Amino acid sequence: MKDQILSPVAFKWFLTLITGVLAGVWFFYDSFSLIRTRKADRSNPVVRDKHFGYVIGIAIGIIGVYGCLRFQGVV
Amino acid sequence: MATTATAETNVAETQPAKSARTVSPYNPANAVTASRFLTLPPFVWAVAHGYHQLATLFILICGLLDKLDGLVARIFDCRSPFGELFDAITDGICYGFGLIVVAAYGWAPAIPVAAIIFLGLANSAMRFVYVKRAGKTTNYKSYAMERLVAYTGYLIGFATGGMEVKFFYWAFVPLMLVIVGYDTKRMLIDPIPEAKAS
Repeated sequence: MKDQILSPVAFKWFLTLITGVLAGVWFFYDSFSLIRTRKADRSNPVVRDKHFGYVIGIAIGIIGVYGCLRFQGVV
Repeated sequence: MATTATAETNVAETQPAKSARTVSPYNPANAVTASRFLTLPPFVWAVAHGYHQLATLFILICGLLDKLDGLVARIFDCRSPFGELFDAITDGICYGFGLIVVAAYGWAPAIPVAAIIFLGLANSAMRFVYVKRAGKTTNYKSYAMERLVAYTGYLIGFATGGMEVKFFYWAFVPLMLVIVGYDTKRMLIDPIPEAKAS
């Protein structure tokens, strides 16, 4: 890389951290939100939309963490 | 791009008849939102010159400003339907443009980018249909799409940083298909929820 704000190793870790930390937090936050609202009235469309959003958030969290592990050569 | 028309909020539902106060479109929150466009020329310059870290920095600034405008709107109490819409449109333009740039320079796979932009435009078109069905200016709120918008911002960063680009782009497409399908049903078939009176 021609621009060197960070060394390649530091840049790689920077990307991993800003992705992995957010994805991990997101995964737990949406998992917790889904559990917390599991008894809410699902006949209410807003509740259904929130649940769907939480499930998508969990999926995105998993993708983010898995991508970070791939990037670091762990998996 | 309309994918991002996603961070929209149904103002009629979330801020029901709070006040009749008129908020000028020339307010600090919208200024922060508009300033996101300033990150695009240097972003293109960085990509064109092969400066991966600088390109990542500019798209990061663009994403941070997206988070900052909501905070500024709350601090200065200048939230408005126009602001919500302007934010969504800015998301679409910035992220859509960013995706096209990284794909054009070969930093991201073209097929998923084309699919993402197509689905985003389709989602936008359905939002217009939803407004017509509602018979009034109302924004459609999708919790799932809000999450996907954040992922979209990251997609550009993955391309500029060379971080598992194919994996993240191809993983995005099925997620977006599912969400657009779900939202399409809600916008075109399901009954439109009544706005709360108070």
